[in-house]
Amino acid sequence: MAIGTGKTYKVPIGPVHVGLKEPITAWLDVDGERIINATIRPGAIHRGIEFMARERNPIQVIYLAERICGICSFAHIECFVRAVEDAAGISVPKRAQYIRTIVLELERVHSHILWAGVACYTFGYDSAFHLGMILREKVMDVLEALTGNRVNYGTGTIGGVRRDITPKVEKVIRDMINFYKNEFELFYNVATDDPVTLARMRNVGVLSSEDAVKYCAVGPTARGSGHRIDLRWSQPYEAYGDLDIMPVVPQDHTGEVYGDVYDRFLVRVLEVYQSLEIIEKCLDGLPEGELMWEPNLPKLLNYLKKAEGTGISSIEAPRGDDTHVVRLTGAEENVTWWKVRAPTYANAVSWPLMFKDNELADAPLVINSVDPCISCMERMLVTERKTGSKQIVTKKELLNRCREKTRKVMGA
Amino acid sequence: MTCRPEYVKESSDPQEVVACIEERFGEDVQDLELRDYKGGKANAVQYRVLWLTVKLERFLELVSIFEEFDFPHFQVISGNDEGDTVVLNYHFALFNSAGKSKRLNVTVSVRVPKDDPVMPSLWEWIPGIEYSEREMREMLGVDFDGLPNKGLVFLPEDWNEDVKPWRRDETGPSEKDVRELS
Repeated sequence: MAIGTGKTYKVPIGPVHVGLKEPITAWLDVDGERIINATIRPGAIHRGIEFMARERNPIQVIYLAERICGICSFAHIECFVRAVEDAAGISVPKRAQYIRTIVLELERVHSHILWAGVACYTFGYDSAFHLGMILREKVMDVLEALTGNRVNYGTGTIGGVRRDITPKVEKVIRDMINFYKNEFELFYNVATDDPVTLARMRNVGVLSSEDAVKYCAVGPTARGSGHRIDLRWSQPYEAYGDLDIMPVVPQDHTGEVYGDVYDRFLVRVLEVYQSLEIIEKCLDGLPEGELMWEPNLPKLLNYLKKAEGTGISSIEAPRGDDTHVVRLTGAEENVTWWKVRAPTYANAVSWPLMFKDNELADAPLVINSVDPCISCMERMLVTERKTGSKQIVTKKELLNRCREKTRKVMGA
Repeated sequence: MTCRPEYVKESSDPQEVVACIEERFGEDVQDLELRDYKGGKANAVQYRVLWLTVKLERFLELVSIFEEFDFPHFQVISGNDEGDTVVLNYHFALFNSAGKSKRLNVTVSVRVPKDDPVMPSLWEWIPGIEYSEREMREMLGVDFDGLPNKGLVFLPEDWNEDVKPWRRDETGPSEKDVRELS
C-alpha cells in the first residue's frame, strides 16, 4: 500500500465479529496508512425485532426489548416500558422510580468500566484492561445480588419494578460504592495520566462540536465534543429530577475540548464517579411504598388491551439517547408498532467524520470510541481495486499493528 | 399570544412554541397536544412533549421554524402503514442543552399518500437523518427527494426490494418471507 501513488484501497472492517454488540461494516478508503474516506453499512444482523413485536403483547415485548443489547439491556426495557406507560397513562410508584434509577446507574458503571478497559486493550495497554475487568466484577456481583442475573436482569415491568432493594442488597450496593471510591482512582490515574494513553488517544478520531450537533451525535460521543447534552439533566425522568446532575464535558476538567478519543474516554471515566454519587443519593432518599402500579398481571394485561395511544420515551443509556416509540390500539392485545432508536444508530452516522485522516492502525480505536463493539476485530479483507487481489488481515495482525504503533510512538 | 421567535430562543418555553406554530399554521397543523411528564418524590412536572400532525405541503416550512428557535436535534422517524397513507412520525428534540428540564421532544406526524409516496429529504440540512430516511425507504417504501445515498441500511444485500417489511398491504411480507423459529 504505497503512499502517494494516488491509489486508494478499500478496507472493510466487519461485518460480523464475535464480540460486536451491534454488527456493522466500515469500508475504509486508504492511501497508504491514511484513511481518506469511510462508508458505514449496518444491517448484518438485523433481527426484525420491531416486526416481531407486532405479534406480541406489551409484557412479552419487555423480554424482547431486553435482548436488543446485552450490555444496556435494562436501558432498553426501561425505555420501552416508559413508552408504554406514556401511551396507556400509567404512573409509576416513587420507590420503583428510584430503584429503576439505581439499576440504570449500576448498568452505566459496568458498561463504562468495560468500555474503558477494552479501549486500553485495543492499543496494547493490557495491564489497564485487566485492572478494569477486575474492577468491573464488583458491579456485576451487585447486579446479580439485586436481580439474580449478571445480564438481562428481568427487573423492569410496565408500571414498576419486579425486584426490591432489601436492607441486605442495600448493604451490598453501599459496599460497592466504598470499594469503587477507594479502588477506581487507581484505574483513573493509570488510564488518564499515562503518556501512552495520551499519545494514542489525543487528536485521534476527532469529531468537532459543530459536527456533533449537525450529525445528531448523542451521549458520551457528543459530550466528548464539548456538547452539553444529557437527558438526565435536560429531560429528567424517574428520580433524576430530584438529583442534581450536570452533564460531564471535557472542558470542565481539562479546560479544552479536542473532541477526540481521549475526550470521550475521559467523559466515560468521570461518569463512573457521577453514577456512584447518583446511586448513593438514591439509596439515601429511597422512598417507601409499592413496587408496581398493578401487581396482578392478568389485570394489567387487560388494562393494556383496552389502552389506546402513542407513547414516546427517551432516556440517557450508557451510550447516549435511547428512544422508543410505541403504538397501542384499543381492543387489540398486541403492540401495533414499535420503533427503537438505539444510541449507536445515531452515533454511527458521524463515524466517517471521525475516520477521516486517521491511520489504519487507529481504526480499531476510532470504532471503539463510540462504544459500539468490544474490539473483537475478527478479521478484515484488504482488496486492491485495480487488480482485484484480496488479502485477509486477521484480528491478530490488526491488533499487532495497533500495538506496534504504540511502541513506535513511545520510541520503544 | 403572538409568535416571538427571539423570545422563544431565550425562554425555551413550550407554550410559546405552540403559540408560534398555531399562529403560522392554523388549520394546517392538527392534533396538537402538549403532554406533561411527572416524576420524582413531589410528582412535579419534569418535562413536556409536543405532538402534532402537519400537512405534507407545509412540512419543510414547519421544520424551518424550529430552526428559528434552536437547531432541531433529530432522533428518529417512526412510521406505520394506515391503509391509503403511510404515516411518518419525525421525532425531534429542541433546546437540548438549554438547561435542566428544558428539552422539548417534538413529534411531527405527516401523512404520505401511498400512490405518490415521496417526502422531501432533510439530509442537506440535518445530515444525521440519513439512516432514518433510508430505513423508512426500505421498510415502508417512502422515497426521499434529495437523499443522495438510497442504499439499503438494515436489510441484507440480496433482499427483494419490492417487499416492504413494514407495509400491511400486498407489498408487505408474505407468509413465505416470515420464518417462525418456534
